[in-house]
Amino acid sequence: MSAATEAPLLELDGLVTEFRTGGAWHAALRGVSFALARNETLALVGESGCGKSVTALSIMGLLPPANSRIAAGRIRFAGRDLVGLSEEAMRKLRGNEISMIFQEPMTSLNPVLTVGFQVAESLRYHRGMEGQAARRAALELLDQVKIPAAAQRFDDYPHQFSGGMRQRVMIAMALACRPKLLLADEPTTALDVTIQAQVLALLAELKSAYGMAMIFITHNLGVVASIADRVAVMYAGAIVETAAVDELFARPTHPYTEALLRTIPRVDEDSAGLAAIPGQVPPLSAMPPGCRFAPRCALREAECEATDPALAPLPAAADHRVRCRVRAPATAAPRHA
Amino acid sequence: MIGYIVKRLLLAVPTLWAVLTIVFVLARVLPGDPAQTILGDQATQEALVAMRHRLGTDKPIAEQYADFLANAVRGRWGDSLVTGKPVLEEVGKVLPYSIDLTVSAIVLGALIGVPLGTWSALHRNAAFDYIARLGSLLGLSFPAFVSAIMLLLAFAIELRWFPVIGAGGSGPWERLRAITLPTVNLGIIMAAYVTRVTRSSMLEVLGEDYIRTARAKGVPSRVILWRHALRNALIPVVTVVGLYLGILIGNSVLTEIVFNRSGLGKLIVSALDQRDYTVLQGMMVVYAFAIVLVNLLTDLTYGFIDPRIKRQ
Amino acid sequence: MTESIAAVPVERPAAAHWLLQLRRAFNANATSWVGLVVFLVIVALALLAPLIAPYDPLDQDIISRLEGPSAAHWFGTDSYGRDTLSRLLWGARLSLVIGSVSILSAMLIGGTIGIVSGYVGGKFDLVVMQAMDVLLSFPSLIMGLMVVAMLGPSMGNLIIAIALTAIAPFARIARAPTIAVKERDYIEACRALGYSDLRIMAVHILPNIMAEILVMGSLWLATAIRTEASLSFIGLGVRPPVATWGGMIREGFENILDSAWLSIFPSLAILLVVFSLNMLGDGLRDAIDPKLRGGE
Repeated sequence: MSAATEAPLLELDGLVTEFRTGGAWHAALRGVSFALARNETLALVGESGCGKSVTALSIMGLLPPANSRIAAGRIRFAGRDLVGLSEEAMRKLRGNEISMIFQEPMTSLNPVLTVGFQVAESLRYHRGMEGQAARRAALELLDQVKIPAAAQRFDDYPHQFSGGMRQRVMIAMALACRPKLLLADEPTTALDVTIQAQVLALLAELKSAYGMAMIFITHNLGVVASIADRVAVMYAGAIVETAAVDELFARPTHPYTEALLRTIPRVDEDSAGLAAIPGQVPPLSAMPPGCRFAPRCALREAECEATDPALAPLPAAADHRVRCRVRAPATAAPRHA
Repeated sequence: MIGYIVKRLLLAVPTLWAVLTIVFVLARVLPGDPAQTILGDQATQEALVAMRHRLGTDKPIAEQYADFLANAVRGRWGDSLVTGKPVLEEVGKVLPYSIDLTVSAIVLGALIGVPLGTWSALHRNAAFDYIARLGSLLGLSFPAFVSAIMLLLAFAIELRWFPVIGAGGSGPWERLRAITLPTVNLGIIMAAYVTRVTRSSMLEVLGEDYIRTARAKGVPSRVILWRHALRNALIPVVTVVGLYLGILIGNSVLTEIVFNRSGLGKLIVSALDQRDYTVLQGMMVVYAFAIVLVNLLTDLTYGFIDPRIKRQ
Repeated sequence: MTESIAAVPVERPAAAHWLLQLRRAFNANATSWVGLVVFLVIVALALLAPLIAPYDPLDQDIISRLEGPSAAHWFGTDSYGRDTLSRLLWGARLSLVIGSVSILSAMLIGGTIGIVSGYVGGKFDLVVMQAMDVLLSFPSLIMGLMVVAMLGPSMGNLIIAIALTAIAPFARIARAPTIAVKERDYIEACRALGYSDLRIMAVHILPNIMAEILVMGSLWLATAIRTEASLSFIGLGVRPPVATWGGMIREGFENILDSAWLSIFPSLAILLVVFSLNMLGDGLRDAIDPKLRGGE
């Protein structure tokens, strides 16, 4: 089934998420828009601080309410707008129709509860399963994520598991209710390289087995090619380039995407490669005017520092859109700001 | 779990040795001549010699130390210079009162402090949180005898809800009436400590990744609080309750004086008044054991709460 | 392309001067200011006691015994006809002297033990810290009670007793940052330059732990004053007729049924001092190191 003939499963439209620091609100997401079809995998790529995790947490409704807010935009999921949905309605969605896996397997599991209990918990609250039924279902899930001797390990505590095994437990937890959408926030970053590959393979396998859509967040373009259908590169709270995965690798257009591609780490050195991009992502409270990437950009022109370009389609490929006035001057009217 | 308990018990032995050694230094080495302390400056030489012999302080210090350790462990804490009865017996007579008071104060303190601290953490920086923080700071600023006197003035002397003096009659109602004010006194001070540490540890736990995981699973917030957060937050609370038990032992001395309630505190004060050296020394040994016991209980409680410790 | 920023090792910002740290902490916390002002007023009143006390604290007046608060005696008189207000003012001096001398000694001794132990490290450190842990497990009041009961009640013995209870916490506070600082490059450099260990400890380690030690000092001063009052209340304080707050309450307690003010005024005085010091220290501690809150 193609994305064009059917309403997208998830659609973000001009999402603006703000954080309060030092008494003032600063936008961490500046109008993020994308659509995700059923069964599709979108990779969100960028350095840390670019708004990838904030995007995922905004979709989940898990932003800390004390110092963050969604200031504008819509998040449509399966025909419903999630922005402004009641906390109880969001709770019924979370872990049920939308699930999330986090980066840190060592701290993401509760140390005083058994692994089996924590996996069974989603079933308890979304499926009303109790006792033996929940145990059997949770055990089956642990088997599916290939935890060896799952039955014996069911009542073990998280500290008795290795990092890779814990991440498998997290995956089992996330998939318990067969969600329509899985948000995977750097699920392999904290793991050893060999374990990374195993967990990635497991995720890809389970995704097709379960028929989920997935947003895969990473700062490593290297893993994107194997897992994603489409890529959105984020910088300083906005998408700067988006295209189908083959198109992006064939024709990287935004200078930031190019820089990221140059830094793809080899298998034997994990994340240190990003060091090759000079400068740093600007902090929320000190965003440059104009193009946010301009201060770090080799192609910078005077005009770049004055006006912020729009995300514009390339003449050759309408589905490949880039936010750069040097590489992709907006000839047609841009669809979204 | 059994292995953990045995290990903790074995580890308590060197602690007990160290604590008893401090007591020995305090009781035998620092004062110079205990016999002189007991009999005063005008004592005759013969009386001093007789007293030294009776106390065993005429022996070489190394021998005294060995005797002291052996007798302390075997419960031979000497006879009271005043009543002539064994110190162990004197202690045994009043110990139930002290245990009653200690246990009820801990229960009260936890019952007030844990919910208050949790509530305070959940409403961080709201008016209630501010009041709870200042209130608990005030609570732990009270010397126990000051708060005891205020309670006595208000509820026993002015309002006449409780007896002014003593443990009262023997019926359960009378005993309850007599223990209420002392319990409230110690319980409120303890609640102040527990509130503060519960608040800060709850705040830390609520920021942990696993709480976010539970929310991401769609676990109701009530369940997140009770099952996911509270048990983790209680681990530091146990430490503080353990530390407070020590403070509680000290504060109960003051409380027993004000409410004229029998217990270890009253015993030590009357021994002080009568210069009953052997009872004093025996009481120090009692406190030494109490300190070690409290540490042991704290460690064992960790084992029950935190699976990471149990399995090590 | 310019040189990569991430390739340059991150230089940890040097710790601010401890006075600056304290000033920042004060500015972040209104409670600390209230505590400081109240405490300084009490200190001023104690210092001025000889000038402002309306009567001699020891002057007995048999005619006006156990009088309630009046224009002549604002806080009433005790069973010897002594003026409660004057005794309170003089008692403040004693409480503050015993408290501060014992805490200063504990700071010095404990701080030295902690720095040396952390600096030397190894088995020595292990043994010293084990001993400190045992000392720490004694509650202040019980330790004070034992020491004074054995040595006899006098101002010197009270100071020894209270100082003894506070050595271990200062040793602990001083040790952790010492170990952290010891590993830094510039300490290595100092050693390479041939500076003596003593000089390194005094010049480079002490300023790093000063703010924390002073904050802890204010909290322990509160505990010390409370312990002194408690011991005096038990009858282990400085001998009568000297005015001590705990002793005043002890005497007042005998007349609690008809002359409650005798207990109430010194009780409030103790509470005010301890509370002001706790407000001061607690606010500063939160501001200096939020992570510290869990401990104690």
